[in-house]
Amino acid sequence: MNKGLILFLFLSFSVFVFSKEAYAYLDAGTGSYVIQVVIAFIFGGLLSVKIFWNRIKGFLTNLFPRKD
Amino acid sequence: MEKLEKNNKILSSFRDPSGFLFIRDDLLYRQINLKYKEDYDHLMSSGLYSALVKEGLLIPHEEIIPTEGMDDIAYKIIKPENISFISYPYEWSFSQLKDAALTTLKIQKKAIEFGMSLKDASAYNIQFKKGRPVLIDTLSFEKYKEGEPWVAYKQFCQHFLAPLALMSHKNICLNRLFQLYIDGVPLDLASSLLPFSTRFSLSLFPHIHLHAKSQKHFANKSVNMTRRKISRLAFLGIIDSLESAIKKMRWKPMGTEWADYYNITNYSSTAFQQKKEIVANFLDKIGPTQVWDLGANDGFFSRIASQKGIPTISFDIDPSAVEKNYLECVANGEDSILPLLLDLTNPSPSIGWENSERDSWLKRGPVDAVLALALVHHLAISNNVPLRKIAAFFSRICFSLIIEFVPKTDSQVQKLLSTREDIFPNYTQPAFEREFGKYFTLELSEKVSGSDRVIYLMRKR
Repeated sequence: MNKGLILFLFLSFSVFVFSKEAYAYLDAGTGSYVIQVVIAFIFGGLLSVKIFWNRIKGFLTNLFPRKD
Repeated sequence: MEKLEKNNKILSSFRDPSGFLFIRDDLLYRQINLKYKEDYDHLMSSGLYSALVKEGLLIPHEEIIPTEGMDDIAYKIIKPENISFISYPYEWSFSQLKDAALTTLKIQKKAIEFGMSLKDASAYNIQFKKGRPVLIDTLSFEKYKEGEPWVAYKQFCQHFLAPLALMSHKNICLNRLFQLYIDGVPLDLASSLLPFSTRFSLSLFPHIHLHAKSQKHFANKSVNMTRRKISRLAFLGIIDSLESAIKKMRWKPMGTEWADYYNITNYSSTAFQQKKEIVANFLDKIGPTQVWDLGANDGFFSRIASQKGIPTISFDIDPSAVEKNYLECVANGEDSILPLLLDLTNPSPSIGWENSERDSWLKRGPVDAVLALALVHHLAISNNVPLRKIAAFFSRICFSLIIEFVPKTDSQVQKLLSTREDIFPNYTQPAFEREFGKYFTLELSEKVSGSDRVIYLMRKR
């Protein structure tokens, strides 16, 4: 299984299981970097769908223009 | 103005190796270091600077030639347009923080179009100019390198997403966490405070909860970053997701303590109109360059000043009133009024490194004129501050004062006294005039008809 997917599932699991801890003093830089890489493929995919959908909408709007 | 070092550097800009702010002859300048040359030149030559300034998203500046007094590391000196009052995120209402967040993302999207990216996403880099949010840090941009993640992602989540989520899902007063955490709300704290239901949110789950877990998981681990790349589309996908998350944030002001204040005061409509005329007349006599309206509620009386074109800051303790005021400013396109949150009994302190990064509210004064209408009784009776201290306080923050004295016979004061013992024998009009007379010349006074209230025009001695 893809390493990024394993990490995503592991972190997701821990969000629901261990939800009460707070460690504000830890260095947060690395984790912020890694999470972007992990979630990037999801949001990149969602943006592609959004752009594609907007193009279809634009195409249909041009094909059937509203009559005022 | 913020505290200066010996060489006039502003203490809030010491972290950035790209340059720093300094003051010369009371004017604000920014030195750009040679280290930032390439990025600055790209900002200016790519068309990004002009595009952002044209849309009112970035503070305009002029380059100073000759750049006298430049040190060895300096590349250029620029003089940014002046912002008349620096405010901080813990003084903003919900929609002000939301608009600042959306402005940051709009700038980031525009920067990407021109091959740049924001290297900072600090809420402190946004200020309100003519009522609208604008980026004031010209050195926040760097060349975008495809494959690299957004370096300011964590800061954006801490400065905007987490506080907005807490204000929207938990309690509006949680923007005050900014005062404790100068670099925004730590995500593990936000994650533990947010309701469990937010773990099912498509935006808050990854950007706050998962993000916090990842920070904790990798806190003591070293990761080989070179192999982990993010495509341009995925990069834009993250920005787009943050933008949708912020746009979805909602908070509806409820009828809190002051929200319906003007509907429940004991003023008749004639007296209210008369009070308006007195304030307008006194303002004309002063002709101030700037006004602070303290205890402004939704800004009704602030607008008497702002509609005369006087830059006016409308301070109030109630997040609902400030929110209502700001939304009205946006709806009407008002550019002379800035509503801000302020608890006068505990105003914003100086915070950050050496207590000097963010100025206290008092340090950002004094102002030309203060409006203090229907306020003194709250300070004297609700907060037990003796009149002599109230008078001394006002003498520190302004040169002219329009102030209303609300006597004990007034129904609003009676209401305050109904639940406490009257330990205020000195709260009288003669005592008020005597104490304020020590610091101010009592130039004019007018009684508000149909009430026992008196409005004074005072000038500092």
